[in-house]
Amino acid sequence: MSPRIWFLRIVSILAYIFLWAPVIVIIVFSFSANKFGIRWEGFTLQWYYELLDNQTVWDACIRSLVIALVTVVVSTALGTLTAYGLYKLKFRGKQLLRTSILLPIVMPEVVTASALLVFFIKVTPLTLGYPTIIIAHIVFSTPLAVFVILGRMQRIDWAWEEAAMDLGATRIRAFRRVIGPVLLPGIAGAAALIFPWSFDDFVITYFVAGIGNTTLPIYIFSQLRHGSSPVVNVIGTLFVLFTSVSLLLFMLAEKKSRTTMGT
Amino acid sequence: MPDYIKTSTKKKEGGKPAEKQSNGGVFPELIKYLGPIITIQLLFVLAPLVIILLFSLLQTGAYGKIIYAFTFDNYMKLIGGGYGMVFIKSFFYAVQTNVMCIIVAYPLAYYITRYGKRWKMFFIFMIIIPSWTAYIIRLYALKTIVGSHGIINNCLMGVGLIDTPIQFLYTPFAVSVGLVYTWLPFMVLPLFAAMEGLDSSMWEAAEDLGATPFRRFFRITLPLTRGGLLAGSILVMIPALGDWLVPYLLGGSKVMMAGMVVAHKFTTLGDIPAGSCMATALASVLLLILYFAIKWGGREALEQSL
Repeated sequence: MSPRIWFLRIVSILAYIFLWAPVIVIIVFSFSANKFGIRWEGFTLQWYYELLDNQTVWDACIRSLVIALVTVVVSTALGTLTAYGLYKLKFRGKQLLRTSILLPIVMPEVVTASALLVFFIKVTPLTLGYPTIIIAHIVFSTPLAVFVILGRMQRIDWAWEEAAMDLGATRIRAFRRVIGPVLLPGIAGAAALIFPWSFDDFVITYFVAGIGNTTLPIYIFSQLRHGSSPVVNVIGTLFVLFTSVSLLLFMLAEKKSRTTMGT
Repeated sequence: MPDYIKTSTKKKEGGKPAEKQSNGGVFPELIKYLGPIITIQLLFVLAPLVIILLFSLLQTGAYGKIIYAFTFDNYMKLIGGGYGMVFIKSFFYAVQTNVMCIIVAYPLAYYITRYGKRWKMFFIFMIIIPSWTAYIIRLYALKTIVGSHGIINNCLMGVGLIDTPIQFLYTPFAVSVGLVYTWLPFMVLPLFAAMEGLDSSMWEAAEDLGATPFRRFFRITLPLTRGGLLAGSILVMIPALGDWLVPYLLGGSKVMMAGMVVAHKFTTLGDIPAGSCMATALASVLLLILYFAIKWGGREALEQSL
């Protein structure tokens, strides 16, 4: 093995250690008996039990779940429709539209967040709360769905749709019966990607949540302000576990969509 | 023409999108498929940006009350006051983060692409997982690691290299580390996507013909992954420029960045005109960067790497 490969390997290993160190610290200290969650003082499951009894956490968790679920459903539906339109139609201003759709992904969250906040409180009659949070989440999640699904559409054999339509199917029926099923892994993948994203979002939610609508990340933020706590480490551990499963599903869906399309 | 010929010619075109050419016929379809997203874009992406531009031209009275009178005061304060420096520093941090991410991400992406074999997707999975979740908790964990009683200091003291803990936290160094930590995966993924599309026999041929690693990188890898590099830079530099939590948590009040000032104006002071001014200035710098990155060909790679 040449020294060059060793160089690549060492850089890679260090990068992985760097990325994983905080996660490992979270997981390890979620089992530590130390009250401040920063030192190892023997194994305990105490914090996990404490979490089960913590009503505030559960309320926040349910709030985040509801928001993430609505966001996922609306964003993937909208994303599919948009991707279909972008793929099929040719029109002036298409590039402009695509760039504009990219904006919420690349913009720093504080910019999106403050723009939406001012817009909500000064222009719309909405009061800050569920509607504003959900709108904000849809705004920053839909672009992700659009481009994930658009990527899948580029790998589909569209002759099938044409064949179905030649045989008398309407566009909608052709989509439902032919393209939809082929696309489904891609759509499911987008959903699996968006769910943790929406669930974990702090900055934008914090801006547009108003008073009293504590989502889980907002709860975590308020807890950690007073220093780290073992219960938060437990939440972090569960987060990582939950996201791993969700993303694993995404990757499986991805793999499946590649094999079904034979590309 | 008999029917079967028609279908056979249609099948040939099947691989390509059946695009509608005439602009007159496309309009109803356009509204049907793209109407909702256009509405959302206009209403919740572009309108809010215009709104903060307008509010940035208003004045703030006592108790954060908005005075509806036109003024450039906020921008004057931005340039003349200390915030101009904050902006320049943020820009410096963003560029530095981007460079650091490129330096780490290239070898990493290259290693995964060429030597990952059937573990490729697993390696990528291991990069996405820690970056996709529990953002605030991870930043706090990072804070615990670099803190004065953290793991790094304890190790160094345990080994006997230092006697007193080194103050990493609340220094520009900690902020730099935090920024690279947060945004590194967003550089690795587009680069990996770009390299994955390349034919690896090119590298092998170059190796066989005796090109040095250095030369291979600058003559093959870099030119062919330019799109991925631009996409990664968009995804790293722009969000890093406006990052709030990293300077807030790891920099304390010692290191100021533009995103932090925006957040402070809005969430703590409730000063809408001044906050809008900062956000508008930030947004325009970012749009400028985005414009050039897309002009140089980063868009396609950006869309594909998502």
